[in-house]
Amino acid sequence: MATRRTFLKLTAAASLAVPSITSAQAGGRVVVVGGGFGGATAARMLKALEPKLTVTLVEPNPVFTACPFSNNVLAALREITQQQFGYDGVQKAGVVLAQTAATAVDASGKTVTLSDGSKLPYDRLVLSPGIDINWGALPGYDEAAAEKMPHAWKAGAQTVLLRQQLQAMDDGGLVVISSPANPFRCPPGPYERASLIAYWLKIWKPRSKLLILDSKDAFSKQRLFQNAWAQLYPGLIEWVSLSQGGKVTSVDPSTLTFVTDFARHKAAVGNVIPPQKAGAIAQQAGVADRTGWCPVEPVAFESTLRPGIHVIGDSAIMGGMPKSAFAANAQAKVCAAAVVELLAGRKPVDPILINTCYSLVAPDYGISVAGVYRPDKGVLADIPGAGGASPLEVVGGFRGQEALYASSWFKTITTEVFG
Amino acid sequence: MTHRLLLPALASVLLLASFLGGGPVRAADAPPGASSCTGCHASQRIPDSVIPRIAGRKASDIVQFMREYRSGAWPSSVMGRIAKGFDDQQIDAIAAWFAAQPE
Repeated sequence: MATRRTFLKLTAAASLAVPSITSAQAGGRVVVVGGGFGGATAARMLKALEPKLTVTLVEPNPVFTACPFSNNVLAALREITQQQFGYDGVQKAGVVLAQTAATAVDASGKTVTLSDGSKLPYDRLVLSPGIDINWGALPGYDEAAAEKMPHAWKAGAQTVLLRQQLQAMDDGGLVVISSPANPFRCPPGPYERASLIAYWLKIWKPRSKLLILDSKDAFSKQRLFQNAWAQLYPGLIEWVSLSQGGKVTSVDPSTLTFVTDFARHKAAVGNVIPPQKAGAIAQQAGVADRTGWCPVEPVAFESTLRPGIHVIGDSAIMGGMPKSAFAANAQAKVCAAAVVELLAGRKPVDPILINTCYSLVAPDYGISVAGVYRPDKGVLADIPGAGGASPLEVVGGFRGQEALYASSWFKTITTEVFG
Repeated sequence: MTHRLLLPALASVLLLASFLGGGPVRAADAPPGASSCTGCHASQRIPDSVIPRIAGRKASDIVQFMREYRSGAWPSSVMGRIAKGFDDQQIDAIAAWFAAQPE
């Protein structure tokens, strides 16, 4: 028997249901969390593919600071402002910008809670939160320590701090970079950073040395980097691998000391590239597994842990694809097209994705690694025979050409995503 | 070597294309692989970029370049490594799609 109270409940339920039916007829609601290369691309692409969608991008920072080319800022080859991009272009493309933080996700109720407590309902959610530093994974390294030994692995104030420390260092000082075990954001990044700091030291502080303490025995584009170091910076860069005792087991920020099982290295400038994990909202939403990263299926990048939530970019486990801006952009475009298909009740087709990562060893010396990927046995797998690094032996202006391609790529991707 | 890497023929055609402007490339119904290309090959004109645009190019030209990159007949820095990930049918589909995009 319908009492007045149950009637009210029913109308309340009905009125709650009405907006979702109306918006489904109007194309549906997609919320994207994270305004980096992955999230901003996904939001724009969703709106471009299906203008009837209501696409909301949740991002607290009014300005995005890009990591690619931020090593050039350390070497005083660029200014941090050249790394920064606003969201005017994203909004002009029809995306609703919610300039606030997402604090919680209710996967069963399909809502995202914002920092003011309000809830954004969604039909599909795309998470692209990037990385968080895994504070506590390296003893001695916490947020206070990062003010003494910057990570500079999220571009911005940390990048500027590391640059200031390098500039204030006496000639003859020891710069130490610690590089983490896999997986982490931008696999060639620590070595590009070492290269460009060495380029700068050679000019301005030529008696200085740079030590890389590594928790790995191999790294991206390794032979290309090492050949270039021998040629361009002989005796300046020393790389200590895991098996040579390079794994940093703790740091002491008060003395800028890196501790390994075999030695203590006291730095004049210490850059800790620490262990990382998926951004906090991914952990909160329950899409990260015990590794700290997010497992997804390889077609639409939907979480294997929480249906209706897609995860792209650095926070996701993407099989053979590295954690790069290029990869996040490529994944975002595939994800957006797949989400449009899923909302229309169709099945997305198997995608092919490309990654290309350029690194600079010097301003006019570029090297690259590329890969082509497709779904295979539930993961994104390398297509055999494709991809690989730049050739070890080249003639003419090959390295200079790749350096030009690197800067053209950066201009292109930032214009496409934020312009 | 450098001038061969710059692909003068492709570059000059694209220079012409770039004067004509063009809207953003839509990924609707894009064949597998196509959306990744725009990571480097912009949908819009990028000042001072040395990477040619491919939107609005003749499909037969794109197919020929991709096959020659793949075989190594045409030297390249990164395109040979990428082209090896695609078979003839996939290249044909991607080329047809880019050819249909606004220049």
